[in-house]
Amino acid sequence: MQMYAETAPSSLPKSQIAQEDILRSDLYAFLGALLAAPPTQAQLTQICGLVGEDTDIGQGITALARLAASRNAAAVRREYDALFIGLARGELLPYASYYLTGFLHEKPLARLRADLAQHGIARNPDVKEPEDHIATLCEVMAGSIRGIYGPSVMSLEDQAAFFAAHLEPWAGHFFTDLEAAKGSDFYAPVGKIGRAFMKVETEAFRLG
Amino acid sequence: MDDKAKGRSRRDFLKLAGTSLPAAAVAVATAGEAVEAAEATPQGSDLRMTDHIRTYLETARF
Repeated sequence: MQMYAETAPSSLPKSQIAQEDILRSDLYAFLGALLAAPPTQAQLTQICGLVGEDTDIGQGITALARLAASRNAAAVRREYDALFIGLARGELLPYASYYLTGFLHEKPLARLRADLAQHGIARNPDVKEPEDHIATLCEVMAGSIRGIYGPSVMSLEDQAAFFAAHLEPWAGHFFTDLEAAKGSDFYAPVGKIGRAFMKVETEAFRLG
Repeated sequence: MDDKAKGRSRRDFLKLAGTSLPAAAVAVATAGEAVEAAEATPQGSDLRMTDHIRTYLETARF
């Protein structure tokens, strides 16, 4: 889903974004891209070349790169469909509302919409799917950290509040489910990367 | 801890946690956006039936 800025929020100028925050934004964007749609063959080829560091996240990246080398785009698309789309439904429903209430379109989605509106972020009018999809939330975090929704970045306090309200309560569970899902092969390390990253984010906001 | 020290410990923690992505991974995300942007170009003004919408409609059926 594409999100764009409605109004300009007030915060730091973009030139002051710390390197660590750019990296966080990139990792959110990477996860968001992988979860929004199955990768193209070109993206798979790019993923083949990735080498991670010796951390939980890095090991996930190295594992993903290895799988990308031996899978083709059609196979990964079938896996994506079985995990997230399915015939009636996929194995997983990657929506905050579903994870928190057992139903889609419940209060967590309403709260998210209110917060997005407050930060001047609206969904692309062409897209009608609910905004509480994990890929959208990753995309919103990536964009907010970099300040693409306005002339300034979202303050660390606002990022922490948004994360605590909309990702922390369920994203770790979702990524754990993704890592362990029956239909997960290529997406298992994506789950591992996301699970590790959510832990890092939780701890970093506690320090921040 | 003052704000500066807190900010530093957060940054140090993030460095150690290995949130850094290889540069090629950034290209993956950018390519994804480009693809999505292309798909989002509307052919008409109708609601787009994406896979996610389809799942959503299926799941919402009681």
